[in-house]
Amino acid sequence: MTLTRRLAAMIAVVSAAVIAGSGCAVIPVGGPFPVDEAGSGDSVTVPFQRMVAVPPQPQWGAQQVVEGLQAAMAAYGDDPSILPLYLTEEARRVWKPDGAVTVIDDSFRLDDIVENKEKKETIVTILGNKMAQINEDGTYVPIGPSEDPKISRAITLVKDRSGAYRVNLLPQGLLLTDADVRRAYRPTNLYYLNGTSGGDGEPDRLVADRVRLRIKPTESYAQTIVERLIQGPTSGLQGAVGNEFPAGARVRSIRSSEDRVVVNLTGPFATGDIFVGGLTAQLRASLSDNRLASGRALEVQLDGEPFSSSGPLIVPASLPESWLGGEDNQVFYASKGAVHMLGSDGEGLPLAGPAGQPGELYSGFAISKDRDRIAARATSGGIWVTRHAADARWQESIPGTKLTDPSWHRDGSLWTFDRQNGGVLRSHPAVSRAAEHVAAPALQGLDVTSLRMARDGVRVAVRIGTKEVQVGALAGGGAGTMLSNFHPLTSAEGDDEIRDIAWGDGGHLLVLVQTKAGQVVKEINVSDGETTQLPSTSKPLVSLAAVGEVILATTEDGKEILEFGRDKQTWTPKPATAVDAPLFALG
Amino acid sequence: MPPTKTRRLRRRTLRQILGGVRRRARRVAGGARRVWRRSLQLQVVTSTLVISVIVVVVLGAFLSDQINNSVIERRQQSAASDASADRLRIADALNRQQDAQAKPADAGKNVPADPLDEVMDAIIGAGGDGSKTRYEVLILNTAKPGQSRASGNVTPRDVPPALQQMLRRQAEKFVDRPQRSTQPIRFAGEGQPTQTLVIGAMVNLSDGYEVYHFFPISDEEQMLSNVRLAIVVVGFGLVLLLAAIAYLVTRQVVSPVRLARQAAERLASGKLDERLKVRGEDDLARLATSFNEMAANLALKIHQLEELSQVQRQFVSDVSHELRTPLTTVRMAADLLYDAREDFDPMASRSAELMQAQLERFESMLADLLEISRYDAGAADLDVDSVDVRDVVLRAIADSEALAERHSTRFELRLPNEPCMAEIDNRRVERILRNLLFNAIEHGEGRDVVVTVGADRDAVAVAVRDHGIGLKAGEETLVFDRFWRADPSRARTIGGTGLGLAISREDATLHGGWLQAWGQPGEGSQFRLTLPRRAGVDLKGSPLSLVPPEIEMRRTWRGQMTPVLLPAVGDGGGHDLD
Repeated sequence: MTLTRRLAAMIAVVSAAVIAGSGCAVIPVGGPFPVDEAGSGDSVTVPFQRMVAVPPQPQWGAQQVVEGLQAAMAAYGDDPSILPLYLTEEARRVWKPDGAVTVIDDSFRLDDIVENKEKKETIVTILGNKMAQINEDGTYVPIGPSEDPKISRAITLVKDRSGAYRVNLLPQGLLLTDADVRRAYRPTNLYYLNGTSGGDGEPDRLVADRVRLRIKPTESYAQTIVERLIQGPTSGLQGAVGNEFPAGARVRSIRSSEDRVVVNLTGPFATGDIFVGGLTAQLRASLSDNRLASGRALEVQLDGEPFSSSGPLIVPASLPESWLGGEDNQVFYASKGAVHMLGSDGEGLPLAGPAGQPGELYSGFAISKDRDRIAARATSGGIWVTRHAADARWQESIPGTKLTDPSWHRDGSLWTFDRQNGGVLRSHPAVSRAAEHVAAPALQGLDVTSLRMARDGVRVAVRIGTKEVQVGALAGGGAGTMLSNFHPLTSAEGDDEIRDIAWGDGGHLLVLVQTKAGQVVKEINVSDGETTQLPSTSKPLVSLAAVGEVILATTEDGKEILEFGRDKQTWTPKPATAVDAPLFALG
Repeated sequence: MPPTKTRRLRRRTLRQILGGVRRRARRVAGGARRVWRRSLQLQVVTSTLVISVIVVVVLGAFLSDQINNSVIERRQQSAASDASADRLRIADALNRQQDAQAKPADAGKNVPADPLDEVMDAIIGAGGDGSKTRYEVLILNTAKPGQSRASGNVTPRDVPPALQQMLRRQAEKFVDRPQRSTQPIRFAGEGQPTQTLVIGAMVNLSDGYEVYHFFPISDEEQMLSNVRLAIVVVGFGLVLLLAAIAYLVTRQVVSPVRLARQAAERLASGKLDERLKVRGEDDLARLATSFNEMAANLALKIHQLEELSQVQRQFVSDVSHELRTPLTTVRMAADLLYDAREDFDPMASRSAELMQAQLERFESMLADLLEISRYDAGAADLDVDSVDVRDVVLRAIADSEALAERHSTRFELRLPNEPCMAEIDNRRVERILRNLLFNAIEHGEGRDVVVTVGADRDAVAVAVRDHGIGLKAGEETLVFDRFWRADPSRARTIGGTGLGLAISREDATLHGGWLQAWGQPGEGSQFRLTLPRRAGVDLKGSPLSLVPPEIEMRRTWRGQMTPVLLPAVGDGGGHDLD
């Protein structure tokens, strides 16, 4: 081969390679090929907007300065440097932002300006309706119906040397509008355990604790949530729930990657005897419930190392059903003194044993957790229990004359309120121990007409007379057990009457209120009092039962069961007749 | 003064160091230049490297610029359209807000949410299921309280001041042209600054709402830096590849050429049977064929010439030999006539004398011719013996005394005190010196002839200086040619054959020594004979200068006033290796 030909061949090869290579530089066609799954963005935070405070302008009038002050209060959590610019030296010294945050509605207005020429002061009054307050632990306490919502806050302004208005005197604490709260705070469910791992039994349920969390622009929302979770429950659940995060723990970082979210913690974790199942359930539920890290596994690290020496702690994307739901949603009903089970075909089957026998002796039935026992109040007043078996018979469990309808706890104990002696009674039918008193100092002297234990075993709801519902928690263990942390949840105004209460899921209580206009069923979040009023039905209702999302009620006239359909927002009848009350296990 | 001394010493040392460095650098550079000049392959590869680097750099810069532009431009366009859509929504919301304010505030409970909040929620997706936008928005109104909003962690401090001033200047002129600015911004709670595209514009000019959009472009930046890296890596690889290709290609061309060069060198050094291997039919193969033909022809021609020269030399030698026999007879007859000349009449007597003289000259010429033909035949050999050169010089001078007296020339001898021993052929060196002395007397025009002997460790030298008419430029080498004559019109007074200096030079060369001449018109001339002290040792220099010292000194004086171009003749062995 001559040199020229060799060169020509080389040039041909090189140009072929270049042409083929540049052909590959455009989008290749063909396939199908497997695709790497792309992450759906940042999964540990939420989009949010903030109020941005601006410094007071010299040309602003007194009203505008007060408006600016209000905006600076809204932005105080993010940028505390602006608000002091509105204050005089003295006000800066005196005013403290701490304490509960007062929430007023958006329609507040500023009162006419009052000028005090002698003192060279100008007073602007904020007039509005108080909606709620946010306590320092994050609890959102809505204003009670009996409270007067009207609120007026006088702001005293003086002119500084340059002639611009500055606030000289203002009430302590922050005053936010509802819009400010909606913008900066998110209602957040924190999850704790229904007991401590060192207590009577291992916790098996999560208890929701709802707080309002302020979103911090400098950290992810997930981090804010976990840090708040570590701090422990709000006052409503203090002492009643378990928290597997030790005091002093902190979040180092929460990072989101393609397939998992890495939670890096630090603090005095005793990794040996920590109840890892509870800790991971708390973490998982608290994040998932707020739509964070959904669909992604969590990896818990301690100081950047694997959580335990045995290997990394991975929390799967879905929480085991048993921690939150998984309740027995079989419908029972009481009819003519007998308990029936509603079959799938609509037929009501009477239960085996004495509870299925019609009679006039027993009412106010309650079914225990595994349907193995049925409790009822005898007409004579005592609480009787029978096993759910053909050979069983009624046995008196709690003697008394004026007891409320019994309520089962998930640990198998039976609870009632002795209205005659004004105390809470508890018995354990399974171990046939005698009924015992349980301390409930908050209920002393109150006319408790109904006591219902929630299915999570922590919360307890009481109806006081027919006017008020209070919610508390079962705190302590063993001998120190008591019902405490009671706070009013709702009350009936005027001639209205509260006819019945029933627990839905752990966080919501259903209240049937008889008003002049008709009957109303309210679904109330027990943590922050957020109330949803269900659409009413023309038929008068008498009793309620609920589990999870299912809500049942019986009509007064037709003695039939109505079920509330959440999709259609209507009540639809179930095929059962002559029903006194619908029932579910527990609740 | 000791300090001065040390300072001078130090200064000298520094200068010496610098000089050393400079020398070394120059040596390295010289070496590199030599390697560069000698290697065609290196030149081709280097040029290819340089050119391809330039091409790759230019192409890479162009490509990178294009990609930069298209990526950034696309991002800016999409950002600008996002921002303008958002601004429309914000403007709409602000108008609604004004409408709502215009209406009398109803005392009712259902106050509609602030349109500003609504529009912000809509823009950032806070109301929905959390499909977060990739950018942050800041609505800033410093003139009205409570009318500023921000998403994410942007604060009014993050707004580039130049952008804000530009917007405010525009607002004063009632212009609301959106402006953008790209710079790294460190947002609150972030450790590293993020490259951010900020688009700012005024909304509702009269109310002074500034809307800023913050688009993080770190992804684009990352992509571009990846592209840049790829371009650099590919470019580097391409350059190396091209250099390798150039190396291979030139090797294909250069290695046959190199073989040809080596063959030519060997041919030049006398190996006339050196031939190239012919492979294939390409240009290089044809070059090899031509080279081989050339070598063959050359060898043939050289052979022919050698034969011819041999024949000529043989002819001269033969003629000289053949002439001797009749010459002997003629000489004997002439001697008889010469001895009996006093008996002849004056005319015949004068003729006998003339014939005797010319016959002597003829004889010596014949002897010289025979001598030189011995050289030509390579038959001359040395009969070395360690002798004192001073004795040889003195003997030669004694031989020349008679001639010198006739020319009324005096010798001036400058001999060293110690013996100058050297391994030389006594007879030949004496002949050389005699030749030089005769020459000096003949051309010395009666002035003094200076004979200087010098010696050093390796060599001895004898310089013969006359003060005659001297030599013209270029005649310094011609004087050694056979039968050369400085002035053809001048008569030979001492009957030189014209071969003396040629033979002398052959003699000197036979010793491994030099015989060199210097001369200047009007200044006389000087011949210098340099011989190694030990036979067979190469000469490195001469103990005596070729140019007479007084001339050298005069030159130096003159040189201090005007720079003078030295004559072509210098010291050392420039033209004496032939």
